[in-house]
Amino acid sequence: MIRSVVLSTLLLVACALAQSAWFGGIAVFGVTPDIGLVALIWLSYMNGLVAGPVSGFLSGLAEDFLSASPLGFHAFIKTAVSAAAALLHGSFYIDKILLPIILGVAGTIVKAVAAGALFILFGSKVHAYSLIGRTLWIEAAYNGVLAPFIFLILGPFGRLLVAERRRG
Amino acid sequence: MSDQPPRADVRGSRAVAPILLAASLLCLTVSTRSLEGVPESLGLTILGFFQRGFSAVGGFASDTVASINELRRLRENYVELSAKLERYTNMERGLADLREENQRLKAQLGFSQDVAYQRIAARIVAKDPENLYSTITVDKGFDDGIRKNMPVIAFQDGMEGLVGRVVEVGRGASKIVPIYDSKSFVASRLSGGSRTEGLVGGQGSPDDPLLMRFVKKRAKDEVQFGDLVSTTGYESLYPPDVAVGRVRKVRVLDYQTSIDIELDPVLDFSRIEYVFVVKPQTAGGGE
Repeated sequence: MIRSVVLSTLLLVACALAQSAWFGGIAVFGVTPDIGLVALIWLSYMNGLVAGPVSGFLSGLAEDFLSASPLGFHAFIKTAVSAAAALLHGSFYIDKILLPIILGVAGTIVKAVAAGALFILFGSKVHAYSLIGRTLWIEAAYNGVLAPFIFLILGPFGRLLVAERRRG
Repeated sequence: MSDQPPRADVRGSRAVAPILLAASLLCLTVSTRSLEGVPESLGLTILGFFQRGFSAVGGFASDTVASINELRRLRENYVELSAKLERYTNMERGLADLREENQRLKAQLGFSQDVAYQRIAARIVAKDPENLYSTITVDKGFDDGIRKNMPVIAFQDGMEGLVGRVVEVGRGASKIVPIYDSKSFVASRLSGGSRTEGLVGGQGSPDDPLLMRFVKKRAKDEVQFGDLVSTTGYESLYPPDVAVGRVRKVRVLDYQTSIDIELDPVLDFSRIEYVFVVKPQTAGGGE
């Protein structure tokens, strides 16, 4: 499990670095996709309630270092999303297209809810999505569209990224 | 019969001391605020290194693709610039006269010497990885003389414009919050006749206009479309007279005692590659 957590965290940090350095050019109305979130959903769904949230927490901390957000902001959000995805662990079969889209969109909405919860607790010290603004919905759509491709890419690396289950 | 305790108990008991030590350190850190800002700075230093690497790879790819058009564009620019040079040579003669007049007027009004600003050039290597925050990361940091809260400007299309301010500094990287961030506020004034002051804030996206608030209602007849808004420099982080935006719309609501003005930023943030971190230096000598 430690190996899968370490590799998952490195993958998610690399996603964050790629988002910060490369994704400005593919923004739609200034909104970039969160491929790290989509990857985290897949990792958490596959790994369950321990490895997933741990990877989410660590990668969220790394994002806090890269962003102007207060330390712990993205760590909380990513942990919340990964926990939600991990609760679905083994519940159903993930097909190639429809379920990844649904998970990508739903994960973004969970992210917004988590940010909203932090906004309620900490007020103006943190940012949150506006439900009537376009940022959240463009990001949700973008993540949904990219999710099938990201799930497809991560699938073959399951042996490295998914913790082995005990037999018997 | 063995008197040894179960292994789990042994492991558990060995973990107690380190856990209590860690908890004590955490309490001490929180109560004394000793490490305030240090984790963020350390994290930025480490991850900033990798950000530069990623940025370099992306830059190489985009440079390779753009190089084919570069030569053609340079040829066209050469012809255009040659014509401009001829015009500017003529303008320079007039500018020398204006400079002399400016010096005379300043001396008459008793202005102190111009504040000299040292500028630290830096290249933008990354933006915020998420959409909730607006951050710009540059490739210069503490070792290059950058400190927290220093203002940041850029030059674009012959104009100096305000970019934002430094919020975090690592050894070789710094984070800047731009003026279009929703938590950014800049004391500004309208250039031109009215010189009315207000507070310019962002709306969270470079595509959304800036909003100048708390402008006195009597100024609504003096504000013109396209008027330039600049920093006041009054008890502010930002130096004075740095361009912020241009007026595009005035919002007047009957029940309000002030008007809101929408501004187009003077800088196109999607095209900025290099910025200058301003290091103010006070003028030397007394009265």
